[in-house]
This record gives sequence, C-alpha cells and structure tokens, in this order.
Amino acid sequence: MSLENPFQDPLRFERRVPECAMVIFGAHGDLTKRKLLPALYRLAYERRLDAGFAVLGISRTPMTDDLFREKMCASVKQFLEDSPFDADVWTAFAQGLFYMPGDIDNPGLYAALDARLKEIEAARHTGGNVLFYLSTQPSQYVPIAQGLGAANVGKGQGWRRIVIEKPFGHDLASARELSDQLHKAFEESEVYRIDHYLGKETVQNILALRFGNGIFEPLWNRRYVNHVQITAAESIGVEGRGAYYQEAGSLRDMIQNHLSQVMATIAMEPSATFRPNSVRDERSKLLRSIRIMKPEEVLQNTVAGQYGPAHIGGEDVPGFRQEPGVKPDAQTNTYAAVTFFVDNWRWAGVPFYLRSGKRLPKRVTEIAIQFNAAPLAIFNGNEVNTAPNLLILRIQPEEGISLKFLSKRPGSGMQLRPVSMDFNYGSSFGERSPTAYETLLLDAIIGDATLYTRQDMVEASWNVVDAIQHVWDATKFEFPNYAAGTWGPQAADEMLARRGHVWRQP
Amino acid sequence: MGATIAPDRILHEMADLWVSLGKQGEGETGVLRACSMTLVVAAEESDDEQAIGETLAALMPEHPSRAIVIRFRAEDRRALSARVFAQCWMPFGHRQQICCEQIEVTASDASLPDLAAVVLPLKVPDLPVILWCRSPRVFRLAAFPLLSAIAQKVVIDSNAFGAPAAAMQELNALVAEERSLADFSWTRLTRWRELIAQIFENKAQLANLPRVSEIGVTYSSSTPTASAYYMAAWLVDGFQKAGGAARVKFASTPGPADRQLNRIDLRAQNGESIASVGLVEGQAAEIRVGGLTSRAVLPPLTDYALMREELSIPSRDPVFERALAAAARLALS
Repeated sequence: MSLENPFQDPLRFERRVPECAMVIFGAHGDLTKRKLLPALYRLAYERRLDAGFAVLGISRTPMTDDLFREKMCASVKQFLEDSPFDADVWTAFAQGLFYMPGDIDNPGLYAALDARLKEIEAARHTGGNVLFYLSTQPSQYVPIAQGLGAANVGKGQGWRRIVIEKPFGHDLASARELSDQLHKAFEESEVYRIDHYLGKETVQNILALRFGNGIFEPLWNRRYVNHVQITAAESIGVEGRGAYYQEAGSLRDMIQNHLSQVMATIAMEPSATFRPNSVRDERSKLLRSIRIMKPEEVLQNTVAGQYGPAHIGGEDVPGFRQEPGVKPDAQTNTYAAVTFFVDNWRWAGVPFYLRSGKRLPKRVTEIAIQFNAAPLAIFNGNEVNTAPNLLILRIQPEEGISLKFLSKRPGSGMQLRPVSMDFNYGSSFGERSPTAYETLLLDAIIGDATLYTRQDMVEASWNVVDAIQHVWDATKFEFPNYAAGTWGPQAADEMLARRGHVWRQP
Repeated sequence: MGATIAPDRILHEMADLWVSLGKQGEGETGVLRACSMTLVVAAEESDDEQAIGETLAALMPEHPSRAIVIRFRAEDRRALSARVFAQCWMPFGHRQQICCEQIEVTASDASLPDLAAVVLPLKVPDLPVILWCRSPRVFRLAAFPLLSAIAQKVVIDSNAFGAPAAAMQELNALVAEERSLADFSWTRLTRWRELIAQIFENKAQLANLPRVSEIGVTYSSSTPTASAYYMAAWLVDGFQKAGGAARVKFASTPGPADRQLNRIDLRAQNGESIASVGLVEGQAAEIRVGGLTSRAVLPPLTDYALMREELSIPSRDPVFERALAAAARLALS
C-alpha cells in the first residue's frame, strides 16, 4: 500500500501540488517574460510549488543558467502585477531555473534535454514529472512534439504533459492535423490546450454561479432567457502584430476559441461531477449543438468589420490598413459579430450574440444575459417600467457579477427605476485573485484539465467557424466599415435589430 | 449608562439608520445592505476600540455581517447601553455604497446573564452567529456559556490566556460539549503546517517520513506556547498515522517576540535532518529538505487575517479538534 501524506488539511490548505520540472520552449520570448515566469514566481511566493520545482528554459539564444536567471528576474520585476517582489523568495526560486540553448529542428537538442532533465531530477527530486510548455510559434508545435517523441522524452518514469497556446490550427483540417501529430508523442489526456480566458476567475465563477446556486438554473433556459450577448472589446489596435493578425482576424483569433469556450460555459448542461472530463464533456456537447450556418445564412447572421482611421482624444489613430506590415487592401476582419443558435431543448430559438473587435471604445469583456420582460406591464408611467432584467458577468477589466432589476422609486407614485446589485471580485474578496496563468499552470501541474480545451472541443468550434470563414473568404467586403473608437459597424446593430434587440454598451 | 437596553429599540434604530442611509443616496443608486452572518465580538472595555473597528471594517467586504460588539466592564452593578451605526464601503465604480450594521453594547460583568436575551433577538435570522471572544476574563465568567450558546462557532486566542496547559483543558472541555471552536494559536500555524505538508507531497520525501524520530519545536518564550503544543501534537499525530513514532523536543531560542514559533526540525534516529522550516530575517521562512533550500514569505498574521480564515470555515474542524485534544495531553505531560 502506498504511503499517503498524513499532513494534508483540505479544509484550510490549498490544493496539493506534486513535484515536477517544467520545460519551456521559447524561454526567451515575450510570453515567458510577461506571463509564465511572473506567474510561476507568484506561485512560489504563495508557497504553492514544491521546494524542488525546476524550470528548464530552451531557446536559440546562447545563454548561461545565471544569465537566464538574471533576465528572468528583470522580467518578473517588470511584469509582476499586484504583487510585491521578494528578493529572498526569488533567490530560492531562481536556484531551480536552468537554461539550455538549442535549435528545435536539431534532434541532438532532445537527447541533450533528456540528459539535462535526468540531472535536474536527481538534484531537485522532481520525481520524473515533466510539464512541457510550448511558448513558441504555432508552426513549431509539431517539430517539438516530434523531437520529444523521437528521443523518447515524451514518456518517462513520472507523468508527462504538454501545454500549447492558441491558435490550435487555422481551420478544422489543420486543427485535426495538429492533434494527430501531437498524439504521436503524447496521449490526448497529456495534451493541455491553454485558453487563458477559461482561467479567469469570473469564467470559473460562471460554473459556481450556475451550479452552486439553486435560484439561477431554473431560469437558465429558453423560457426565461431572451438572448445572450458576449462581448470582448479591445481599445487598442494590432500593436505591431499586423502581419500576424491579417492572416488570423477576429473570427479566428477570438470567436473560434475564447468566446466559443465562454459561450459553452454559459450554456452547457450541468455536469454530473466536477471532474475534468465530466465538465469538458458538457462543454463539448454544447459546442457540437451550435447550429452550423448554411452558406446563404452567413451574411444575415454575421458581420465582419475593419477599423478605419480616426481622431481620438486629440490623437490621430491609424486604420488597420495603415498599420505597419498590413496590406493596403487587406480583407482582414478586425471586428466580428455572429449570431449563434444552440439546437437543444434548453436553448432552441435563443440567440447568442458574440462580438469581438479591436479599436472599440474601451477594453471590456462581459457576458450579458437578458431575461424576458415581465409578461404584463402593470406599472404605467414610463418605458423604464418594462426594462428587462439583466445578469452581467464581467470578465475584464474588473471581474464581477451584476444583476439589474427594477425597484420602486421612493415616493407616493408607482415609478420604477433600474437598480444594480453588484458583486466584484477585487473588492468583495479581500485578497488578489490569481492571474489566469497562475490558475492554469497550477492546474496543469496538478493534472486538472477542467479549464483546458480538448481536441473534440477545438474541432467542434472550428466546425462552426469554418462555415462562416468560407463565406467570408469568398466575399469582398467594403472595408473599412467602422471608425476606430466606435462600437463597430452599423451592420452589427442591424443584425440585432432584425430580432428586436440592441447591443449593450458596456 | 442605562440599566437595560431593549432589543426592539435597537432594531428600530437600525431601521431608522437604513432610512437615513437611503436618503443620503437618493438621486443616486441608493445603498446596498449586505449580510452573511451575525458576528458578536466580546471584548474588554479597555480593549483597543479603534483596532476592533478596523478589523471589522476590513472583514466586512468579504464577510458582510451584522456586528454586535460587546464591551465588558468589570463591575458588579448591572448596566447595559447600546448604540447603532453602519460600516459602509464603496466598491468599484463609485456608484453605490455597501453597508453593514454595527451595534455597540457596553455591559458590566454583572449584566452578562441578561445579554443572551438581548443578542438573541438581534441576530439576523437564518444566518450563522459567530462569537469572537477577545477576553480570557470574559471567557471564564460563569455566565459566558449563556452567551456562547447562541453562537454556532466560538473564536478565541489562547495565546492571551496565560498558561497554555490550563487554557487547552478549558478549550478541550468546550469541544467535548460538541461546540464548534477556533483558536487563533492554531490558526497562526496554517502556513507553517502547509509548508510541512507540501514537503511531504514530494514522493521522495514522503518515503523518508517513517524515518523521522525526533520533532524539534523551537519558540522564543521561556516556556512552550500554545502554538508550540499544537504544532507538536499535530506532527506526532501525522507521524503516527504514517506508522512512525517520533518524540518531541521543545526548545527555547531567541527570536521575534511577536511569533509563537521559531523553527521546526524533523530529524532521523542518527540525527540526520530530514526537513526543517525556520524563520529567518524579515518575514521569511527557510525550508530545508533533501539538500535543497527554498524560502517563503511568512509574515506575522493580523487579527483580520486570522479571523478571515476562521470565518471561511463555518463548520467544525476535525483536524483542529484532534490536535487540541492531543495538545492538551501533551501540555499536561
């Protein structure tokens, strides 16, 4: 019988974290500096990592372990959000940071990696457990997985897991091809496709709100919900990523992954348990239930947009086509709005409006669930008396939940006014919320894939998005069709107006 | 000070308070009333009023409550008085204040038997009552059980009780009555315990666990603190569960006066160090295990941090209760 740790106290302690080493490919890249190392340091600061936890960074740049530690120290100091930097904690954490330069196309790299991991395992008691994190260009995912597989580094004494960032392919066929290649070295259960939206506290809180309370779930269906709006707006443009972005666009970059996953979390059926595959099965089922648009339905139920130049706050803002690296006649959608319907008993006939865009008036991500108005307006007076109830789940910048309802205005008359009941993560819980990367990295180390995307989920959402993308690819749009700093093209308002709805302005 | 206070009058004053707060917010979006429990604080009249107020204010956003602060005066004459006010804070967006009620009661020791009848109608229906007793003297008053009987959970700090052995016998007696109890001397150990538990999440270290034969518990006071007894008892229990048997060695060394524990050493029969966790300079703890050294931040915990942890555990805590029983035996031995 294996010995159990007798000191655990689940009532008071955080989740149990096993020993492991983490290998970061692309260790000199932006994601590693801005997100991964600050998140790992923060986990160390919070005493969430094993004492022997080790990071082995790999990139082309020649560097010693010490120089890597210095560079990472500077990054952590620069990009650590809402947290103090503690030199002592860093010094101890940095003892577990290692680096090896190498070219991912060179098979010798993987043999060297295997040897280095064995050294680290012996020195830091990492138990043979390895988390590979591919913080590289997506085109390098397959060569790395193949290299790990060929050198047999993808298997070992402990567990092996591989984390990849979006995009998971650029369409259904390429997503399948990527999964097939990854599966040559890793089982699907070892592949962790990260979607940092799912790591946000409010997205996780959707599950708590829906399935931890008895009062919402009875209302969560076509009988009471009028429609759902999911908005992910960015106020910035492409910020130097024009060349990449013009190949992706908002539909692929946001709606296929982040917003589809958020929609699945909002609309999925309750899972029987909170085990990773149980929750992911339900998300997957929901994604497969989204009605795939016929070609002739696409332009009625979707809107592609691209921002043009504008003058905002005394500053000239370039249009997308004026951004560096962007073709002057680019047909890229920097804005995408779609109307989805879910073909199941719970949601039949309820529109789910998803929109995402760049250079919109503000940075905000939220889900607004609009309930049906009271069946009879008995309080005559003004039109506010029939204002619908709204449940708003804010994902960023301030994570929280608001419920809007009507209340009687004090006085002798029967005047109603909308009031808001707000719950805010930042102010309602005294401590800082972990960042999405802290949550997701810890989940990967623990082996909890609940918030990670599975192959069937990726394929289901590509299936829906491909139907739109094919029509858009064959359409010549009159771009630009919205000015930077506005809420998107007029056509997006008209899309909702056809069903008697209006976009919320968050 | 009046001889009595009428709960009805206090409730009426609270209703007036909400009307007044509502008027202040008129034309805006009003105030939001929030409540998740009744929190009764029993303190000495000489206790730092400002510190209590600040702790409650800090707790309110996460644990909004109707707070009833009872300040006791050692006096034989029966005397009670009360006032009500609100604790409000403005959450994000600066649109709407959230407010909680606070009732301050001043009472003589002699009026303690009357207090249960005052608190009972003032508690918020359908929500738990937590009693935070900051005074060992009040805890030991003969009529205290009348007040504590209303609460689902009683929170105390045995560090203020003087002799830990006697305090632990008293607390153990309360737990034996099936009462939910919390002791800050135990709560202060959570981070220490978590560090030790994390050491043995590593399978290589877990295999070493049965080798531990001596538990060194070091503190800076002249005699073992309640926290030292708790820690030793909890560790002994853990090693027993793992099939081992370790003896405890208490020791006193110079260290920060505001800490109840300085260092934990786990050693094998031959004196080899299996693992250690010790305070180092500043607010850090150094963890040494298997030739590796790491550091974690381990700041002294405020009443707010301690209370916040206890309020998040409304039910009985079996790990604490087992540790308390074992610590009480250890302190007597």
